[in-house]
Amino acid sequence: MHKLGRGHRDKIQQFITITGASEKVALQALKASDWHLEGALDVFYSQPQIRSFTDTRHLEELYNRYKDPYSDMILADGITLLCNDLQVDPQDIVMLVVSWHMKAATMCEFSKQEFIGGLQAVGIDSLEKFRERITFMRSELKDEHKFREIYNFAFGWAKEKGQKSLALDTAIGMWQLLFAEKHWPLVDHWCQFLQARHNKAISRDTWSQLLEFARTIDPALSNYDAEGAWPYLIDEFVEYLYENGIIQKDDYSQKQ
Amino acid sequence: MVLHKFGEKLYSGLVATMTFHLKEICSSIEAAQGGLFLEELNRKWADHNKALQMIRDILMYMDRTFIPSAHKTPVHELGLNLWRDVVIHSSKIQTRLLDTLLELIQGERSGEVINRGLMRNITKMLMDLGSSVYQDDFEKQFLESSADFYRLESQEFIESCDCGEYLKKAERRLNEEIERVSHYLDAKSEAKITNVVEKELIESHMQRLVHMENSGLVNMIVGDKYEDLGRMYSLFRRVASGLVLIRDVMTSYIRETGKQLVTDLERLKDPVDFVQRLLDIKDKYDKIIGSAFSNDKTFQNALNSSFEYFINLNSRSPEYISLFVDDKLRKGLKGVSEEDVEIILDKVMMLFRYLQEKDVFEKYYKQHLAKRLLSGKTVSDDAERSLIVKLKTECGYQFTSKLEGMFTDMKTSEDTMQGFYANVGADLGDGPTLSVQVLTTGSWPTQPINTCNLPTEILSICEKFRNYYLGTHTGRRLTWQTNMGTADLKATFGKGQKHELNVSTYQMCVLMLFNNTDRLTYREIEQAAEIPASDLKRCLQSLACVKGKNVLRKEPMSKDIADSDAFFFNDKFTSKFFKVKIGTVVAQRESEPENQETRQRVEEDRKPQIEAAIVRIMKARRVLDHNNIVTEVTKQLQSRFLPNPVVIKKRIESLIEREFLERDKGDRKLYRYLA
Repeated sequence: MHKLGRGHRDKIQQFITITGASEKVALQALKASDWHLEGALDVFYSQPQIRSFTDTRHLEELYNRYKDPYSDMILADGITLLCNDLQVDPQDIVMLVVSWHMKAATMCEFSKQEFIGGLQAVGIDSLEKFRERITFMRSELKDEHKFREIYNFAFGWAKEKGQKSLALDTAIGMWQLLFAEKHWPLVDHWCQFLQARHNKAISRDTWSQLLEFARTIDPALSNYDAEGAWPYLIDEFVEYLYENGIIQKDDYSQKQ
Repeated sequence: MVLHKFGEKLYSGLVATMTFHLKEICSSIEAAQGGLFLEELNRKWADHNKALQMIRDILMYMDRTFIPSAHKTPVHELGLNLWRDVVIHSSKIQTRLLDTLLELIQGERSGEVINRGLMRNITKMLMDLGSSVYQDDFEKQFLESSADFYRLESQEFIESCDCGEYLKKAERRLNEEIERVSHYLDAKSEAKITNVVEKELIESHMQRLVHMENSGLVNMIVGDKYEDLGRMYSLFRRVASGLVLIRDVMTSYIRETGKQLVTDLERLKDPVDFVQRLLDIKDKYDKIIGSAFSNDKTFQNALNSSFEYFINLNSRSPEYISLFVDDKLRKGLKGVSEEDVEIILDKVMMLFRYLQEKDVFEKYYKQHLAKRLLSGKTVSDDAERSLIVKLKTECGYQFTSKLEGMFTDMKTSEDTMQGFYANVGADLGDGPTLSVQVLTTGSWPTQPINTCNLPTEILSICEKFRNYYLGTHTGRRLTWQTNMGTADLKATFGKGQKHELNVSTYQMCVLMLFNNTDRLTYREIEQAAEIPASDLKRCLQSLACVKGKNVLRKEPMSKDIADSDAFFFNDKFTSKFFKVKIGTVVAQRESEPENQETRQRVEEDRKPQIEAAIVRIMKARRVLDHNNIVTEVTKQLQSRFLPNPVVIKKRIESLIEREFLERDKGDRKLYRYLA
């Protein structure tokens, strides 16, 4: 410990606080991931041995606390209670991450299997551990790869059961939420465009392709390729941007 | 002397003697005055040749023994060389010879007569002396001075002649030069001098000639000046990119006139005339290409691509072509011989091939055919069938199977009617005579189902038919298409005049109402007949507002039908003819809103076709990128229509949604087929 710099010591401390692991484990993990805290946590949590450490009885108790009195599921009220317990706003995007971990099928409800199975998989069996983990879960959104998974997961989760597409209002709400985490300058224009011109549900392909568009295309559209097999809605969006003078079309950005 | 090893001496002696002798000859030639110069040269040359012959004979031994071993020039050749060096290349003679020759040629070009035989001898002499002598001492200069001459002359011509005249002059000059070569120049000069003429007379002025106002290419085309055009073609053909120039100017002219025709709103009001004009234009250019451009394939292709270009500029071309066919098959082909019928139908097919949107044509053709069949208005059954066969050959079985179904239905209905009257005829008594066409739903154009109250007499016989039919065909459903039928009514007017009125079913329903009363308001008619308002108004208009057909009288006498109008049976109706035709079943050019509707239906029909093509392609290729899919789909569908790439993209997305396809996880431009 005496050889470590202040920064490193802080990280070890954080690691221990979050995971409850020993100092030795913390040191190992951080060294292995070159002192990147997120990376170290990632590695730590993906170790399979974690699962065996969870106490199923506790999880059952936890489930029963939130479960709806009339059906074998956690519904809106239960979720609100859970959020309170976690000291998290129910609108907080971290709940989306939680749902992702649980592989929840639909928003605003958790089945017993989803709740218990999901928490088990990430090694949480108490509210304390859950609370500690929230910070980490929030940080997962910063990981490019995970963000994409969470984003794509959100489509299936947010749409109505039995529908193939996502209602426009819900989609816009989700986009606002998601792109607050991963900043995309055109998100407001996109939502305005949809409300003015589209007014129909969003398909899964459009949803997932939009992320690619936000990730890879420069907000001034300099590298947008009309032959790029983008969904037609995105092509129309680009036209909308040019038509309304939001983006200037110059020779640079025109590709033949 | 050779035998005695004096070969060298003999040889050099020969050289010296000949040289000396030739120098003398040279002077004598130089001394010759004016026109005699060439003659003198010619004579001396002939002498020299003769002498050479003898000398060679005499010195034959030396020629064969000493000369080869000593590597000397053989006697005859020596003689020629010396002639060349001493005489021809003597400073005075060389230039004078060239100038004289060129002067004579120039004179001939100006119309003088010259001694061609003499010319031929001189040029032959030069050739004999060696082709480089001919070229250097004559030909090079000849070509240069000719070029200068023609450059000037062409400039003169172009300022003073119109295109046709110029071409005639150019042709004349060209022929002249060719003739000149054949008479007194070496054959190899032909290509070179013609090149000069082509360059100076044709190539340099090509552009100006073609575009010459009031006499250029366009003017010739407009005036069908086959001779001039032919001349231009054969002259320009000699020059690189000469034909390309003609072709390009012709093509842009055709495209321009074609474009004007298809966007001329006045012209477009008469579809039959419009299409006839198209055919006339095609005929005109076929004739030009045939008689003046020797059926040049590249011109044919240019004509075809131009037609394809402008016909498709007007999105209603398919409809108009169908209306043209309709007109022909309805009456236009009456009295026309079988061969001529075939010719006209082939011409129609030719226009059909240019259409990009063949599926639109199919839709209209079906509609118009249905009207023709149902009103019995087709001039020749054979002609109809012939055209269907041609369409089948062009587009495949799928295109025409429904059309053939329509013919079958007509035939079957005939048989059904016979059966009906055979079986039920006795019970019918004095009622109206019925003729039914039973149409198979899939084959005929879709019709909206309209309400209509048939008069009781009609209803009862219709019911009898329905029962008869369903008796023999169980499991089928019959729906009366009241908007497509016709009726013949016997009517008696005020002064007892009788007429037979040929009307539509709707009109019949309206008229029959007047059997019970003389006056009805619009509202009353509407209530009683239950015919949809727009159809009813059209129907009443044709019964009350058309001169010569006004079997009803309307108050007030305005042209349009208002809800408050009243209608009277027109006692005072008169007509020259016993049979009066008032029905309105003729195919007509669609109104704008109708056209929009049809277009929408066509677009809807295209969606599944595009999807089917995408699925076919993906099933075969498994994985394919976006641009290639668009290309392949376009290729597959090009015989029916040109698919819009945006529509293709939307169909792909729809297929992704329905899980027929997915995007590749690595490359988002790639799609995979999901089994």
